[in-house]
Amino acid sequence: MILRRASLRYFLRHPWQAMLSVLGVAIGVAVVAAVDLANESARRAFVLSIESLSGPVTHQIVGGPNGVPETLYRTLRIEAGARAAMPVLEGHAAAPQHGRRSLRIVGVDPFAGNVAGPYLPTAQSGIDLRRLLVEPATGLLARATAQRLGLALQDRLHLEIRGAPVTLTVVGLLDPDNETTRQALADTLIVDIATAQELLGAQGRLSRIDLIVPEGTAGASLLERIRAVLPSGVELVPAQTRAASMTEMTRAFQLNLNALSLLALIVGAFLIYNTMTFSVVQRRPLIGTLRTLGVTRREVFALVLGEALLIGAAGTALGLGLGLVLADGLLGLVTRTIDDLYFNLTVSKLTIAPASLAKSLVLGLGATVLAALAPAREATHAPPVTVLSRSSVETQAHRRRPWLAGAGAAAMLLGAALLLIPSKALPLSYAGLFAIIIGFALLTPAVTVVLMRVLRPVMGALFGILGRMAARGVVVSLSRTGVAVAALAVAIATTIGMAVMIGSFRATVAHWLDQYMHADIYVSALESTPVNASLDRALVERLATTPGVAAVTTGRYVTIESADGFTELNALSLGPRTHEAFAFKEGDPATLWSELQQEDTVIVSEPYAYHHGLRVGDTVSLRTDRGQRPFRVVGVFYHYGTSQGVVMMDRATYDRYWDDPRIGSLGIYAEPAMQVEALVEALRQRAAGFAPVNIRSNRTLHATSLAIFDRTFAITSVLRALVMLVAFIGILSALMAIQLERARELAVLRANGLTPRQLWGLVSTETGLMGAVAGVLAIPQGLVLALALIFVVNLRSFGWTMQVVVDPMVMVQGLLLAVTAALLAGLYPALRMTRTPPALALRSE
Amino acid sequence: MRLLNLIASGLLAATLLLAACSDPQEDPAVDNSSARFSVAQLLGGGNTEGYVRAYAPRPFVFPADHGPHPGYRQEWWYFTGNLATPEGRRFGFQLTFFRTALTPAPAARASAWATNQAYMAHFTLSDIDAGRFHAFERFSRAALGLAGASVQPFRVWLEDWSAQGTGDDAALPMRLRAAQDGVAIDLSLDSLKPPVLQGDRGLSQKGPAPGNASYYYSLTRMPTHGTVRIGSRSFPVEGLSWMDREWSTSALSGDQVGWDWFALQLSDGRELMFYQMRRRDGSADPFSSGVLVQAEGASRRLALQEVELRVAGHWQSPRSGARYPSRWTIRIPAEELELEVVPHLAGQELDLAVRYWEGAVQVRGNAQGRPVTGQGYVELTGYD
Repeated sequence: MILRRASLRYFLRHPWQAMLSVLGVAIGVAVVAAVDLANESARRAFVLSIESLSGPVTHQIVGGPNGVPETLYRTLRIEAGARAAMPVLEGHAAAPQHGRRSLRIVGVDPFAGNVAGPYLPTAQSGIDLRRLLVEPATGLLARATAQRLGLALQDRLHLEIRGAPVTLTVVGLLDPDNETTRQALADTLIVDIATAQELLGAQGRLSRIDLIVPEGTAGASLLERIRAVLPSGVELVPAQTRAASMTEMTRAFQLNLNALSLLALIVGAFLIYNTMTFSVVQRRPLIGTLRTLGVTRREVFALVLGEALLIGAAGTALGLGLGLVLADGLLGLVTRTIDDLYFNLTVSKLTIAPASLAKSLVLGLGATVLAALAPAREATHAPPVTVLSRSSVETQAHRRRPWLAGAGAAAMLLGAALLLIPSKALPLSYAGLFAIIIGFALLTPAVTVVLMRVLRPVMGALFGILGRMAARGVVVSLSRTGVAVAALAVAIATTIGMAVMIGSFRATVAHWLDQYMHADIYVSALESTPVNASLDRALVERLATTPGVAAVTTGRYVTIESADGFTELNALSLGPRTHEAFAFKEGDPATLWSELQQEDTVIVSEPYAYHHGLRVGDTVSLRTDRGQRPFRVVGVFYHYGTSQGVVMMDRATYDRYWDDPRIGSLGIYAEPAMQVEALVEALRQRAAGFAPVNIRSNRTLHATSLAIFDRTFAITSVLRALVMLVAFIGILSALMAIQLERARELAVLRANGLTPRQLWGLVSTETGLMGAVAGVLAIPQGLVLALALIFVVNLRSFGWTMQVVVDPMVMVQGLLLAVTAALLAGLYPALRMTRTPPALALRSE
Repeated sequence: MRLLNLIASGLLAATLLLAACSDPQEDPAVDNSSARFSVAQLLGGGNTEGYVRAYAPRPFVFPADHGPHPGYRQEWWYFTGNLATPEGRRFGFQLTFFRTALTPAPAARASAWATNQAYMAHFTLSDIDAGRFHAFERFSRAALGLAGASVQPFRVWLEDWSAQGTGDDAALPMRLRAAQDGVAIDLSLDSLKPPVLQGDRGLSQKGPAPGNASYYYSLTRMPTHGTVRIGSRSFPVEGLSWMDREWSTSALSGDQVGWDWFALQLSDGRELMFYQMRRRDGSADPFSSGVLVQAEGASRRLALQEVELRVAGHWQSPRSGARYPSRWTIRIPAEELELEVVPHLAGQELDLAVRYWEGAVQVRGNAQGRPVTGQGYVELTGYD
């Protein structure tokens, strides 16, 4: 009872301290919860859209560049007797008039209703499928989607497909009877397969054929019959494999987000540690008294831990609430990134996954308990005497300093060792990263002392006796300041590390774009479905013969899906200057170009080589229209366009193995005298009358690419900002607490003639110094973190090599953040001290 | 009088919905999950505007009329038969193709999948001596070669279920093939008699309104041989089949709730077809009628009042709970014909998207004082 009262009184007398700690934990937990919720929502929406939407589908037949020929469907049903089969053609359209960037179009055959799963209405819905079948340009929407688009039954839906306006009629509204289906149908327009082919301009082709194959011998013999009728170029893939390989693509990205969000929590945990340590230090006399009254060590330990748990619980509860709000905002960013980097994804709303909340709850409380363990142990060491001088506490802190520094060094070594283990396991990398961070934190007190020793004369020279006092003050109260400075440094280092990583990545990409985008003008097909993305032959001819065009190269970018996942393949017609666009990590540029033109060879991008463990001389097996074929790798090139990586081959090689004469994009070189912008205009005029295509100058495309890069990293920047916020609160709370605690000491100084102004200066200088020390320490820490992120985490996640580019502004920003927060932290304590008569302050102690 | 006649064009759309919620991994014979439509729900409401309709008798031309008549809203090819192995093991079969025009005319569209014609097919096998009944259904659009019908050569098919002419340019003999889940038939059908034109020279009036009629002819005695397969066992079989062909754009008067239809082949070389449409109040609709085909092929129309139909027993389906009549006596006093009709199996209910009873029956009785036997098929719809 007395214990609880004592602890309540303490926190009532130091409300700021508790409140800021709660807030710090809250934001940390909020970030973790929000990232996890957003990730989970994106993942779920995605898994739903391929797993649940396919319903009971067990297998899928997927094709190559041309998709799946529609006649295969008849062969399957009639010759192979695959009764549970459904043709699917998927594509997408823009719906700008309804405020939607993208709407998924799914074409199905209502006659294969037993395979259609949730795509089709149930008998009770009363939807007239006849109109869907016989009327061109009709479709079904989920009722919720229709409402979001502002549409009712029979309304017109205005879409843009491949740049051309299309109007459809909504002939049915689906009312999914469960949440799974509801989410799966979000932003999806369901049309008859005939309508889909017409809308998307993909006559004769399907995206895939969905199958239900029973288990057991009947299923095995059906699979055999199906395989027997499959033409080369298409493949039978188990539905789970397909879902798994798509989820796998985003795994690294999502894991990184989770790990980065943990940084925020770690910074939050430092806050708790700081608060609890501080409260223990402050209450040593009280704890000593309690011990003489017969309170056991175990009870003291429980008391401190209990207090921390209360703060942690309050912070976690608040954090979960904040997290829900924040997650809603992050979801858009996560979705956008996945959409840009990996595949078309629409997520209608946040899924509140109980597991995410539980995880955040455990992390929040867990971090609190861990952070409070050391201070709680420390409290039990208070000997049962009534008075214990502060100086002995400090002496103890100073004595422990070398040990802490040693432990810090050990942690850093361990971290470095973990990072150096050649493994693709990201958790290992992050464990290493976190070990280094802890190591830095443990080293901080020692480094602070050294820094202060160096600074003391400088401060004395600058600010006289008060300056020297301030510098000494920092060192003297190391038991409290050491922890605070360490926490701040970690927080700021984290933001610096993330910023340097993003900046390096961006600079690398920008530099790569300069080299890779070699042509002056790029022309690309507007795509509505992957099976039809191509340029009109006549248009290609017309553009190539435009006056002012010196040379044209062609590209054909296709995705080949197989049981192993998705392979992006680019078939290039090699121009005289194509080689200038590539920089090779492996392979001999002097010989590989001629090799590429003569044999069945490919070059692969760095991430592709990384993910597939390929080196020059190895072979890549690709499913061609002539069956599975090996291609020898003659080079590994730098390429930042896709994290999955890309395989590149000569157009002639492609034509030997694929029956796909189409061209997806053009690179146009202008004649030297020709103005690029003028040529773009001329080309646009020549393209008038054809289906719309993208014609963009090198400069525009460059800017667009970087804009997409920025968009994909928006989520990382937001996380960085949140970590900065926690850091700011940390600095504020730690330094404010320290100064408030010094009330008596400062009162003595006031009583001895220190003017309020001088007092203000002393406090500000001291907090400013601490902030500056934290900021300065954060710079090397941040750089080490950045290096770990760039050379270990990023490389292992995505297989990208980056140049390290350090923007000095990032350091300045970190330093400014630290000093500003520190100075702000000094404001209130200084104000309070100057307003309180010294006598009162002395008495109140 | 057969199933589709009463079904307005809502049928296929409605059955599609039903098919959407059935699980194909289960044997349809045990699938009970489909939501149910009573047949009455499928009736009426069908729009007849724009479709070709049957107003007056027309000349029938063969083989052209064996093929499709796409301007009419609905049409079917309906085969039933009683078969037996040389050892005497008995089978009944039904293979039916229903065509529905979803609109009066096809629209000009770019996709090969686009069509206004849809098909449904039913295939049943009554394994009489084993006491088992197998029933299957299929749906498809008439596009991409998945389903359809043609005249030259005669062919109607839905995936690998088909009826097709094997002669040079004649429909006969016809080969019927269907197989699913280990149950299969492969039969050759010829005809002993010329087509029998039902109703008034082939115009079969279904209700008082003009156009509420169908064109209807039958091949009533088709010697059949071929094989029946069940699992790994194959049975050589012979017997008699019956083909009904009907096309129309008719809508039912709202009063009609279902019908009982009889197609009986007698041992004296004659065939009797009779259907009785039931009204809501249980009475027989005056447009019910029949035909008696003589051994040499001549036929005589039978009006409702010429035929006395009495139900002598009932059977309740343990699956659907529907209660069907299950034994009848048919008397035609003017012909001195009295027949007792008994199903080979009580349980010949097609528990499919559209539920009805259609099964093989045996016949015993007297004609002009002499004993007569026979076989045939009975169809019962509109029972709950």
